Amino acid sequence: MNALQWLSRRSTPIILAAVLAVLVYFLWWLNDSYLEDVATNGCITLVMVMGFQLFMGNSGILNWSYVGYVGIGAFASAICSIEPDSKRLQMPVMYEALIGIHMPYWAALLVGAAVAALAAAIIGFPLARLSDMAGAIAQFALLVVFYTLLAQWQQVTNGPRTFTLGGTRSTTIWVALVVGVISIFVAYWFKESALGLRLRASREDRYAAASSGINVVATRYYGYIISAAVGGLAGGLFSHYILSITAKSFYLAELFLVLSMVIIGGSMSVTGAFAGCILITIARQGLRQGEANLTNSGFDVSGMTEIVLAVLMILFLMLRPNGIAAGWEVRWRLPGRRAARSDSKQRS
Amino acid sequence: MTPQASQASAAAGLVLSVKDLSVSYGAVAALQDLSLEVAQGELVSLLGVNGAGKSTTLKAIAGVLKPTHGAITFQGQPIGGKTAEAVHKLGISLVPEGRQIFPMLTVAENLRIGAFGSYKAGSFAEDLEDMFQLFPILKQRYRQAGGLLSGGEQQMLAIARGLMARPKLLMLDEPSLGLSPTLVDQIFDLILSLKQRGITILLVEQNAERALQLADRAYLLSTGRVRFAGRPAEMSTQVDIAAVYLGEHGAVGAAVPDGAPAASASSATPGNPAASAGGAA
Amino acid sequence: MSLATFIEFVVNTLSLGSLYALLSLGLVFVFGIMEMVNFAYGEYITVSAYILYLLGINTSLPWPLVFLLGILGGAAISVISEIVAFRPFRGRSVEALLVTSFAVSLILQYTAQITISPRSKPVPLPGFFNQSVNVAGVVTPIRSLLLIAVTVLLLAGFSLLMKKTVLGIAMRAAAEDFTTARLMGVPANLIISCAFAISGVLAGVVAIFWVGRSGSAEPLMGQAPLLISFIVVVIGGMHSLVGSVVGGFIYAAIANVLTLVLPTSLLSFREAIMFAIVIIFLVLKPAGLFRGSYVEERVG
Repeated sequence: MNALQWLSRRSTPIILAAVLAVLVYFLWWLNDSYLEDVATNGCITLVMVMGFQLFMGNSGILNWSYVGYVGIGAFASAICSIEPDSKRLQMPVMYEALIGIHMPYWAALLVGAAVAALAAAIIGFPLARLSDMAGAIAQFALLVVFYTLLAQWQQVTNGPRTFTLGGTRSTTIWVALVVGVISIFVAYWFKESALGLRLRASREDRYAAASSGINVVATRYYGYIISAAVGGLAGGLFSHYILSITAKSFYLAELFLVLSMVIIGGSMSVTGAFAGCILITIARQGLRQGEANLTNSGFDVSGMTEIVLAVLMILFLMLRPNGIAAGWEVRWRLPGRRAARSDSKQRS
Repeated sequence: MTPQASQASAAAGLVLSVKDLSVSYGAVAALQDLSLEVAQGELVSLLGVNGAGKSTTLKAIAGVLKPTHGAITFQGQPIGGKTAEAVHKLGISLVPEGRQIFPMLTVAENLRIGAFGSYKAGSFAEDLEDMFQLFPILKQRYRQAGGLLSGGEQQMLAIARGLMARPKLLMLDEPSLGLSPTLVDQIFDLILSLKQRGITILLVEQNAERALQLADRAYLLSTGRVRFAGRPAEMSTQVDIAAVYLGEHGAVGAAVPDGAPAASASSATPGNPAASAGGAA
Repeated sequence: MSLATFIEFVVNTLSLGSLYALLSLGLVFVFGIMEMVNFAYGEYITVSAYILYLLGINTSLPWPLVFLLGILGGAAISVISEIVAFRPFRGRSVEALLVTSFAVSLILQYTAQITISPRSKPVPLPGFFNQSVNVAGVVTPIRSLLLIAVTVLLLAGFSLLMKKTVLGIAMRAAAEDFTTARLMGVPANLIISCAFAISGVLAGVVAIFWVGRSGSAEPLMGQAPLLISFIVVVIGGMHSLVGSVVGGFIYAAIANVLTLVLPTSLLSFREAIMFAIVIIFLVLKPAGLFRGSYVEERVG
């Protein structure tokens, strides 16, 4: 297989990564700290959305507890990377074992993802068997449990008070971009992998899949864990960007953000989730600006952004439930080469 | 399909007319270009194996399923695509497959629901008395929860419930399914007495032998199409029913979810193929 | 424990249980018929509370009328949200309904924030709401007793409705088997609208007593009652009206016991504990304590 064929097979993530890189570079080039913020935040959000998409897009299951794992990753990585003295000062009640931990940024990020994955592994197992409605309620209940734990466990997260990381911002715009690109590849790899295929088969027809020897519960379980890991990674990026976190950042508002991106963009394809992330990020900036303008001229409309997005979300669900992309993946097909085309057709 | 049969029903006054009906479950075509007619006072039977499309036909007429194509006309009015409630209001009553009584409601409440759309205090009491005549067991168990009744009693409750609305067309979906031979006899006796009262009936049955004994006309369905239509006598001589039941057309166990469970009622009539082929009707 | 403390505990639990019972009944009513958990339910309470606020501040209507309008307002927003946002999704997947109700809940929250205020507002209430009375030596707020009385009346009325009226029978039939009920001529739209209306009425009643305890209304006030009703419905039984009523009392008892018994360090985790119990129930006993017309569906 020559280089062109190799590229064409992986064209989707490559194209998306290129688009992301161009966008981020452009925003950085404009030399405006606000825009740089938007770009960095956007990449972090993209990582979060990719983690969500890889499970929901392939299994058809909406994981209501997802942002809880993002929160776990955020706090876990923060605990790992802050200097012990600083921790002791800020949270005298913190467990000694946790105070003692200290590691470089990259390692902390990975630990954050790992802790999230571990939590998913433990909790996801009994939940993987539940039917649609029971599963949804259970995942939502789990979100509340995560939120309460993160908001109340003083010895770990400083309770309801802000957990300050201080120091310099380790998540720079370039770090966020790189991890964003990696997350696109991970989501795409997952989709095209055997696990992703099995997951999609079980989404289409649970019983047919089971009778083909697919262990539906196991595939869901593994997908759930991988998704949580990517979410945890996003959380780590986030905490090292914002530099002060509370449990509230990983609850209903965040959940709504992810949902709106994935539903409007389209959950079934990586391109859809990517497009949703970019579009909603831009839309929110615009709406926020509109809010500010209106508020300044006398009408206090803070919250209008969320209302507009919620209405949009309902409309999309009603009229175009598969989102803008509706399962389409951006691709570069080798002109005239049947082999590459039929290959990628088989895989989707 | 046979000209003589259609002309006869046209003369008697058509109650139901289905033309070129097609229904799909997603990508799977459950019914294709199905046409049938039922005239006033007739008992018409739909026969065929599991998955042939019999239940689908009734559900499409009753408004539970939407036709993808074709027309359903009831007493001159088009009803294809109407909701189930609307169809019921027009006078069609479906006694669904598997009885589907409300297990946690009492017999009384089940019957009351049957008359939901058409309730009038005076006629309700009359109809109730009528049901007690037909089904004395229901009077005994009037205050008991439906789920406590035996299979046969539930079937009677389901039919009584369907009758409470004084329907112009009664549709029965596999009423003898899962019942012991004695009960099967009772059910078919009951259907005969309903027919003798002048109620127009569309009967779906896997038990071809018994159904053909009662029917004025019958349609034989296979994989969503009508393979044969006509009087029972014609059917036994002109069609090798055994072959159709055993899947001569090759599509054994088509993926269409007709609703009927795999345990077929033909096990309740062990000698069926041989008997029909011998022209028992 | 002295007798006085015990009586206080009992009255407290009964009144809190009454509140939770009404609350959960509103949620389970829609769930039983539509098979959907309505995230916007909490916001029906919020809307009712804000009606109480607006009428109390801006008009001098007598309080029974204000209460009535609050309850009607709850019913109205409930029915309207069904017609506008949920009806188009009938028959769609579980996810679609949940996400839509989640979106509606957010829309209502932020609308309250914009049209009134993001800050909490004190709601004027009739004087006797804050007065207390001496019951067997224990000082008890009048509104607690009122709540218990109202709950008994409502539950009795409810029972009558469900058992003796044809509408009630039709709703129970629809909750057991919607399709077959429609085959009998039971009109889907009517039944569903009634269910939402009842849910909204209950939300309105809850709003009165919830505001009675907290004294104020704020945009996010619907979250806590929603979560509580979640817990009660799962434990009591998602398909059982009786279950949610009994569950409400059980939960109030558990919550009060935990408050007494848990060391203060663990008290703040009460919610986490309750939701962990919810998860355990869903995994081990998804029908809840009262099975009702539940049919289990498992994947593996």
